Amino acid sequence: MKKLRSILGNTGAVLTLALAVLAPFLLFGWFQAAIGAAHLRIDPTYSGGQISHVIDRANYRIVVNRPVPRRSPLQRIGPFVQVTWTPAASLPAHFSDDVDLDGDGTPDVRVAIDSQNLSVDVAPLNARYRPMHSQGVTSFSALIARVKDGLVVRIPL
Amino acid sequence: MTDRVLPTPRRSIGKSLLLTLPILLWSLLMFSRSMIEPGRAPKLAAAATLVFMVALFFQMMRTLETHRWRRYFFVALGFLFPVGFIWQLYALRGSMSIPVERMLSGDTPFCFLAIPMMILPAAVAGTVIFPGSILPTASNPHAIAAMVALWFAATLVLGKGWCSYGCFFGGIEEGFSAIPKKPRIRRLDPRWRWMPWAVLAAIVLLSAATLEPVYCMWLCPFKAVTEYPAVRSFETAVQMGIFITLFAGLVVVLPLLTKKRTQCSFLCPFGAFQSIFNKTGAFDIRLDQSKCTPCVLCEKACPTMSITPEAVAAGKPLMSCMKCGACVDACVRDAAVWHIKGTEVGASSERARLMYLYSAWAFAVMFGGSIIAGALEKLFGLMV
Repeated sequence: MKKLRSILGNTGAVLTLALAVLAPFLLFGWFQAAIGAAHLRIDPTYSGGQISHVIDRANYRIVVNRPVPRRSPLQRIGPFVQVTWTPAASLPAHFSDDVDLDGDGTPDVRVAIDSQNLSVDVAPLNARYRPMHSQGVTSFSALIARVKDGLVVRIPL
Repeated sequence: MTDRVLPTPRRSIGKSLLLTLPILLWSLLMFSRSMIEPGRAPKLAAAATLVFMVALFFQMMRTLETHRWRRYFFVALGFLFPVGFIWQLYALRGSMSIPVERMLSGDTPFCFLAIPMMILPAAVAGTVIFPGSILPTASNPHAIAAMVALWFAATLVLGKGWCSYGCFFGGIEEGFSAIPKKPRIRRLDPRWRWMPWAVLAAIVLLSAATLEPVYCMWLCPFKAVTEYPAVRSFETAVQMGIFITLFAGLVVVLPLLTKKRTQCSFLCPFGAFQSIFNKTGAFDIRLDQSKCTPCVLCEKACPTMSITPEAVAAGKPLMSCMKCGACVDACVRDAAVWHIKGTEVGASSERARLMYLYSAWAFAVMFGGSIIAGALEKLFGLMV
């Protein structure tokens, strides 16, 4: 038994050394691929959630994400829906859009954006939504921000 | 200071060089890409790092001391990591603060300290509560999958030794703890050792409940020298105040007063999490009771207070031992020894030390060495 434990211990030590040598050539790649294949996704609080539908306008597109609900009573970030106007370069300095958030074909909110000063006013056209004014980032659930090639607005629910 | 009761061992130069040869070849392999990069700065940085890492390993072989030489590498890593990281942040966005816009676009570089907080939400909901990206992108090479893969491979090799050979934060407090000759505060309440476990439990549960990486947002002292949320509100100002206070207190002032790694010992939840992997590794440190007097030199030398009278009686340090080798270097009777689990204690301690050091130093050259070389390249770039 003592000898077996000794053999197992020494085998473990040799394996550790082998793992250290293999790490940069094989292990990192394997582990990264395994994590990539685990279908993990960034929490919608940060990513904005999955895309629900896209509304085409003459010079730009409006990407509407699915609503992100509050998933825990202790969650500080409230529920919101993320809407992205893209490409940002094609947006006028001031514009207003009636946006269908739930995809039922009728507009739910009127969004007035000052894309130069990054301010937004949201007026509800449907009782399910709340008015919002945001100058830049007010909170994670109420904001207007320039992100990559778009102008992201998060409307609190 | 207790005098050494056994003659100070020293290996011959020839044998030490021979034992260093594998690390020299490994280092050449690891830095070969930097050596052929255009410009003088990358070549100089790679060459300097290679010489530094190989020379330290040679000294470990020659003097049979581990902690004394490992410490130079670890402190260099700790102080050069922020240099390279902050440099990169200024080049990318002109500031150390991370604005919400970059969080929304998934551009926050992932930090291994967030790993324990991710596990529950990832297991239950399949979501990662960190504003980064799962796979590397052009704007965020430090993606979650890449960093978790690196941590996992390192953990398989090093176990809790990550805290001595891999963690780019631990070197900062190790550097401050090395400055004074003697500690001003000698007695620390041993109950503080439970604190990292309490913090770990609290942040894992709170992060799962709030779906936010609580430690990163409220408690991480190293935000003060890396990346912090842009101060745009009272809340972010409070967070910044906490980061600076914890950094100043636990990473600078207390290590200077106690000669201990106080942030690692009293706060770091990742260190507590990593302690679990001490149980899975092939190597550990043992305290041979047949040779121990006990003189408590090992207890004094341990930077994380992992050696207690109870641990000495049990013949091994607590599971928070990070295999830095300080106790082995300090022991004048060769009672503290490196050990391969399952084998007889003290029978082949130098072989155990060599096998662990080859594994740990291979990782240190590859990971820490690249960080050191990256920072040196930026500094050399200013000069040449």
